[in-house]
Amino acid sequence: MSQTVLELKDASIFQGESLVLSNVNLQVNKGDFVYLIGKTGSGKSSFMKTLYGDLKLTQGEGHIVDFNLRTLKEKEIPFLRRKLGIVFQDFKLLTDRTINDNLTFVLKATGWKDKDKMKERIETVLDKVGMKTKGFKFPHELSGGEQQRIAIARALLNEPELILADEPTGNLDPQTSIEVMEVLQDINKNGNTILMATHDYALLLKYPSKTLKCDDNKVFEVVQRKS
Amino acid sequence: MSSSFDRYQKRRLISSYFSVVISIALVLFLLGIVGFLLLNAKKVTDFMKENVNVTVYLKDTAKDVEIKQLEKSLALADYVKTTDFVSKDDAAEAMKSEFGDDFMDLVGYNPLQNSIDVKLKADFLTNEKLEELTALAQEKSFVDEVKYDESLVELINSNVKKISFWVLLLSAIFTLIAVLLINSSIRLSVYSKRFTIKTMQMVGATKSFIRRPFVWKSIKLGILGAVVALIGLGFVVYYVDKMFPELALRQSLVLIGGLFLAVFLLGIIITWISTHFATQRFLNLKTDQLY
Repeated sequence: MSQTVLELKDASIFQGESLVLSNVNLQVNKGDFVYLIGKTGSGKSSFMKTLYGDLKLTQGEGHIVDFNLRTLKEKEIPFLRRKLGIVFQDFKLLTDRTINDNLTFVLKATGWKDKDKMKERIETVLDKVGMKTKGFKFPHELSGGEQQRIAIARALLNEPELILADEPTGNLDPQTSIEVMEVLQDINKNGNTILMATHDYALLLKYPSKTLKCDDNKVFEVVQRKS
Repeated sequence: MSSSFDRYQKRRLISSYFSVVISIALVLFLLGIVGFLLLNAKKVTDFMKENVNVTVYLKDTAKDVEIKQLEKSLALADYVKTTDFVSKDDAAEAMKSEFGDDFMDLVGYNPLQNSIDVKLKADFLTNEKLEELTALAQEKSFVDEVKYDESLVELINSNVKKISFWVLLLSAIFTLIAVLLINSSIRLSVYSKRFTIKTMQMVGATKSFIRRPFVWKSIKLGILGAVVALIGLGFVVYYVDKMFPELALRQSLVLIGGLFLAVFLLGIIITWISTHFATQRFLNLKTDQLY
């Protein structure tokens, strides 16, 4: 029995006034690992932004976790994002505080109160990405790959129903990309749903999974040949 | 290596806070000065107004009892500050010492009249009130006439109106400048954190949760600026008190305390509101609009 966490029907994605993608139909079930590929400028990022409420969905239907993207109110956006884990190409860690404080901020912002529980949760997620010993460091003291692992740990904090990764390996070298990818694969095996935008075809070949392609204002599924 | 980086970062932050604190302090200091001026302008004009003399001249036929009664009823009126009975002999003495020679030798008798000097409370020194007083006094048959300097009263009143208008306008302009200056300093410091703010939104923090530490930080800067301004203001008040003891600043410590409190609260309120709107601006922007 599979549960739908993301569903789009005839959705059109706009970046400002210009149409980026039209007639998007998509369904992601719990436990899936889905790639979203396409050239730069093909609308991957706009697509992701629409999913986490940074762009408005004005045409078509869209349901993500328990939220309706068409009727999503400004006030509901923080609560939508608490159910999602978002990983960015440029990590987007808070540069003015340590890793532990970065993660504590997220927990506090999302309503955690008990200090011991917060500490425990932070240790758990850092352990999952293999960064348990780096909590006291500042983001600028870590390498790109390490920062991205922290970003993934941050995305995991509130046990999200869906992880959106927008080119998580875009700033990393091939070796580090694979390390980060391993982390994402592990998380997926533990039952987390992941939608990952990428243009790194090497990763697709190494870790084949359901793949969607953005091209020519359309999103369609591509079938990978088994290698 | 990292510690020197941290130190550099910290120093940069401190210097940017420093300019915010200084601009808040300067503006609040100026506002405090204007407020101080406003408080004492009232005192100076009140002092002038309460020195305007209304003289009720009495006929020589007036009986002592009647005079006493009139003086008492005037003294009891709520718009009168003081009354003072001046007998014709006293008036002659005063005149003698003023002019230097005894005019009575010249005239042969004392031509002056008994009189009551009345001084009104500052708030009631208007021509209407004076006419009312005149009418009241002249009802009595033993009152000869009531004299006061009509043009002086008019002059004082119209000048006070003009001066308080300009001082009020000045303080309004200063307040506006204060808000704009503090606002732009705070906007700048919030602007430098706009990506941090966006990131915080991305991980599910609500707007008010993100805004809280910013507002708190600014209020702390506002308090610091206000304290600096109040220290400066304290020095000014101290020296004004030394140079112009006739202002009797020590007797209006409550008013000055109120002014200090107002400056302090203004520092908090202005920084609070500015930060609220500055952060709100960036909170409402979409990611693409930040660049």
